[in-house]
Amino acid sequence: MSGRDAIRLVARRELDEGLRSRAWRASLAIQVLVVALIAIVSIATGGDDGPSERKLAVHGMEAERIEAKARAAQAGYGIRLEVTREPSAAAALRAVRDEDADAALTGAGLAARPDADEAMLALLQNAARVVGSEERLRRAGLSAAQARTALEPPPLRTTVVQPQEGEGGEGLAYIGALLLYIAILSFGYAVASSVISEKSSRVVEIVLSSIRSEQLLAGKVLGHGLLGLIQISLIALVGLAIALPSGEVSLPDSTGETIALVFVYFVLGYLFYGCAFAATAALVSRQEDSQSTTMPILVLLIGGYLVANAALNQPDGGLATISTFLPPLAPLVVPGRAAQGELAAWELALSLVLMAGAILLAVRLAGRIYDRSVLRFGAPLTLRDAVRLARR
Amino acid sequence: MSDKALELEDLHKRYGETVALDGVSFSVGDGEVFGFVGPNGAGKTTLMRIVLGVLAADSGEVRWRGSPIGAEERRRIGYMPEERGLYPKMRVRDQLVFMARLHGVDETEAQREAESWMERLGISERAEEPVEALSLGNQQRVQLAVALVHEPDLLVLDEPFSGLDPDGVDALGEALTEEVRRRGVPVVFSSHQLDLVERFCDSVGIIAAGRLVAGGRPDEFEGSLADVYREATRR
Repeated sequence: MSGRDAIRLVARRELDEGLRSRAWRASLAIQVLVVALIAIVSIATGGDDGPSERKLAVHGMEAERIEAKARAAQAGYGIRLEVTREPSAAAALRAVRDEDADAALTGAGLAARPDADEAMLALLQNAARVVGSEERLRRAGLSAAQARTALEPPPLRTTVVQPQEGEGGEGLAYIGALLLYIAILSFGYAVASSVISEKSSRVVEIVLSSIRSEQLLAGKVLGHGLLGLIQISLIALVGLAIALPSGEVSLPDSTGETIALVFVYFVLGYLFYGCAFAATAALVSRQEDSQSTTMPILVLLIGGYLVANAALNQPDGGLATISTFLPPLAPLVVPGRAAQGELAAWELALSLVLMAGAILLAVRLAGRIYDRSVLRFGAPLTLRDAVRLARR
Repeated sequence: MSDKALELEDLHKRYGETVALDGVSFSVGDGEVFGFVGPNGAGKTTLMRIVLGVLAADSGEVRWRGSPIGAEERRRIGYMPEERGLYPKMRVRDQLVFMARLHGVDETEAQREAESWMERLGISERAEEPVEALSLGNQQRVQLAVALVHEPDLLVLDEPFSGLDPDGVDALGEALTEEVRRRGVPVVFSSHQLDLVERFCDSVGIIAAGRLVAGGRPDEFEGSLADVYREATRR
């Protein structure tokens, strides 16, 4: 049997047992559900690029003046009023009752459904206030033009700043970073607990009497990585399957590239962290003891996620650039920068090279630590022990 | 070329200051059951791990049919470590097939051997259950099946009888003697239980403080094995 056969056998066992395990299925179900919810919510709240349309039934001179004023100011409220003139106040009220209109404006005042849009109510109230004030000022002796000037000072000058790339890139960046963080964390942990469970059940000694420790380690890391890939593929598929056909969610131009990089950096980040988790897990013989030895890796990963979030606030900043070249951080930062269109091709290339180098180092170091500690049972070894063992 | 199947020559092993093996040599022939006995910490487990290659000796040599034993030959050994080990959540059949495949048996053959051993050891009805759902006695049977499922050329069993009730001892002993009779497989096992060693072994080695202090055929000893053991381990 070749080394590759041994690795494949171990990987297949991890994959089969993983697919069958309730823990894996439950975590998949939960994550798919969360992504589906996010997609559905963004569809429901989607289309807020344009103003929302509100139907207003109007009757009477006074009401028409208020309506005209409101229409002049509606853009600021994100509303577009669609007005119907009703023959009587009663007809206007009926339109609201029959749900043909959102509100009725008559000589008697404003009538609205209980769930009426607050912004629309505020718009109409303000318009009414302005109309009323104009009226009073005119009666006090000002001309109509003077009254208008007094009541409508020129608005604050506002400038709209367009984001450089298609909008929504930030959202995609944070979702990508979060997804990667969760995936690397959960599958890194899965490898760790699988290593410990082989040790605590002592089956590892039987397995290692027929294959080499590197083969066992490689097979385990690969098997759980495949489980991870299956999981994030399903999650991405469900998210896209819900979001795309609706046409309500406008995906940024960078979506395709971002998804591709999420996969690439999941593989790289998982290999890096998975080896680290496996090696530190091999230092202990019982699940209870694993916290102390896997803690540094966990701190690195959580810290990395926090740094990544800060870096993604300013994807062209120094922090983001430096993180791109630090292997423990790069997987959480690079796809997010790409989502926001802030990743240069040379940066990606250099990041991939550094990542590959770091993984090679991690694999070799993890292999040595794993080999020298996986058959030591009893009290947990410290990280210092691990370094000492790896040197021998 | 030696007529002995397995030969151990002058094995030494230390863990830091502790001497675990201090020049142990013995050999086992085809169809021979070799048992060694000794107090805790005498070096029995270290010796077996070295035969399996799970542990490396500081010096000395393990030979299989006259040549230094390598990875391929070691894969043909059936092993039962002192600390029993199975995948708790893996189903019995899957576990046996996996273990056979690890030892280089192809898929179809592995399936057939797994069925045959479950049948022989009376655990066929449990084939689809995870090992952790089985009684301790049945788990021991699965453990034995794991050691035998790839039709090994040599059996190395560390304390195979510990924790077994008398029925389990009989079943295990029967399966072992049958394997030896049927295929001439040499067997090396360690035990605390002198009566079992006397009952199943063709030859015995007594190990104390990392050295083989006495040995021979049980029926050739002067007095009982217990007397010889007491005498040998006192020194």
